[in-house]
Amino acid sequence: MTGTAPKRREWDFTRLWSLGASAFALGFMLLMVTLFIWQSIPVWKHEGISYVTGKSWFFRQQEFGMLPMVYGSVMVAAVALIIAVPLGLGTAIFTSEFLPSRVRLVVKLIVELLSGIPSVVYGLLGILFLRNWVYDMLERFEPLNGDTLLTAGLLLAVMVLPTIMTLADDALRGVSVNQRLAARGLGLTQTETIFSIVLPQAAPGLMSAVLLGLGRALGETIAVFLVVGRQDNQWPDPIYSMRLLIESGQTLTSKLGSSETNIAYGDPLHWAAMVGLGLILLLMTAAITWVGIRLGKGKDGHA
Amino acid sequence: MRKLRHRLFWLLTAFCASLACGILLLLVGAIAFRGWPAISWNFFTEQIRLVGASGGIFYNLIGTLILITTALVTCLPIAFGIGLLCGVYQRQHKWRSHLMMLLYLLNGVPSILFGLFGLIVFVKFFGWGKSWLSGGILLGIMMLPTVTVAFIERIEGLPAKYFEAAKGLGLTTTQVVWSVIIPQSLSGLITGSLLGLVRAATETAPIMFTATVFAGATVPHGVKENPVLSLPYHIFILAQDSFDPAVGAKIWGTALVLVGLALLLSLLALPLRLRIHEEARHH
Repeated sequence: MTGTAPKRREWDFTRLWSLGASAFALGFMLLMVTLFIWQSIPVWKHEGISYVTGKSWFFRQQEFGMLPMVYGSVMVAAVALIIAVPLGLGTAIFTSEFLPSRVRLVVKLIVELLSGIPSVVYGLLGILFLRNWVYDMLERFEPLNGDTLLTAGLLLAVMVLPTIMTLADDALRGVSVNQRLAARGLGLTQTETIFSIVLPQAAPGLMSAVLLGLGRALGETIAVFLVVGRQDNQWPDPIYSMRLLIESGQTLTSKLGSSETNIAYGDPLHWAAMVGLGLILLLMTAAITWVGIRLGKGKDGHA
Repeated sequence: MRKLRHRLFWLLTAFCASLACGILLLLVGAIAFRGWPAISWNFFTEQIRLVGASGGIFYNLIGTLILITTALVTCLPIAFGIGLLCGVYQRQHKWRSHLMMLLYLLNGVPSILFGLFGLIVFVKFFGWGKSWLSGGILLGIMMLPTVTVAFIERIEGLPAKYFEAAKGLGLTTTQVVWSVIIPQSLSGLITGSLLGLVRAATETAPIMFTATVFAGATVPHGVKENPVLSLPYHIFILAQDSFDPAVGAKIWGTALVLVGLALLLSLLALPLRLRIHEEARHH
């Protein structure tokens, strides 16, 4: 022992290492946020609030408004969730309530294996199958091509499905067996038990599964990049028009993933505008993750 | 009537489950079916020729292996430290839950932002240019939450009596860590590492600006301006103009190799995970 610390607490290398490593993780997060804030200062000075609310992005005219990209991100994630949430919850109810636990484990492990499919491979599948399929399906609306917000949303739906499925299954399994048995003992059918006991109890956990799926959908880059069309300045008029769903669009991530990130570096203002997109994306996903994790924590405080 | 409703609901959820699993299995099937014709011994041992239309993916495979090895080396010591702080030293304190939240937040950071961070710090400030080292470090930090959380869960799954007995023998906390906790929870660290490596091997966004190029790199011999080829970036570039059928076959072959690598890593983690599941059931 090297330590001479007071009160019987040993300050040895292992303990110091554990503190150092944790400080590193914290430092990394703080550094990332600080860096993004600092590097995006010029664009906030230049545009003010219209950086967030502006509807046009023309970097040659030094005009930077991110709203169309936020719109793209939100729409793509919304399409993904509209499909993936019912499908994922239905699957989770089936695996956790109706399957014997051995089979459930097998299904769960398969799903987890499948969540290891790389996003670039999803993108490839999207390009070669989904794109044409969407184009054919929407032929009477005369889309320009198959690279649309809808295509990206459909692809994302498949991508976030494993996340939602497995987290929702965990949430449902977290409801105590005794409560289920009590409900069955009162003469409720299994379905009625699910609706009156299991789902209400698991609601925060299910909400958490949806939010973490949303976080993934908003942050996914490569697959979206490959099928979204990357068309700037797409803003719906009137606002409730859904026409843009079947047109090419741009999301925060597809913009950041484009070569514009590379060419922007020479120009401080343009670079700041790109980094600012990253900052907004970071804040959005962090907020969603934070709420999702808080909701997902059981009463005993375990995540 | 109530029975009927139950039947209908059962059918509905069964339909969801088969649809979901069906879609996912169909995708894997499509990749395997399309990719298989490209697979041959030469595909693994030759380098790319004719902008991906011919040759193999030797240096891409090497590049990806270099990246994930670097990531693992970066990640393990840090994951180890955080795991001990959360699982042992601060187990009862509120610091633990703050740190866990930090890990979850880190896990939620979109991968492209690691790329942006790396572009600012490694490529520009440090002046490394595109370098395998920056990619490896970024992937290492990205996989940190996966590895650490698996390690912590394993530590906290250990029976409390192990710890108490060792303490009762008069060992200090750190001696308990080395003599009891680490040997008993190493499986968590290994499982976590394998799952983290799946993520590291398959991500494109963190390395596309920082570490990898499409062609012209072999084995790095320094840090600065020493990029590598990689499997995901290869697919990413080729996928953007996949009109040449000869290229098409090679893309799917590469995709199959990458998916195969990911599945292999997850399958290696499987026995340990099953054992943990089993033990959790008996507690």
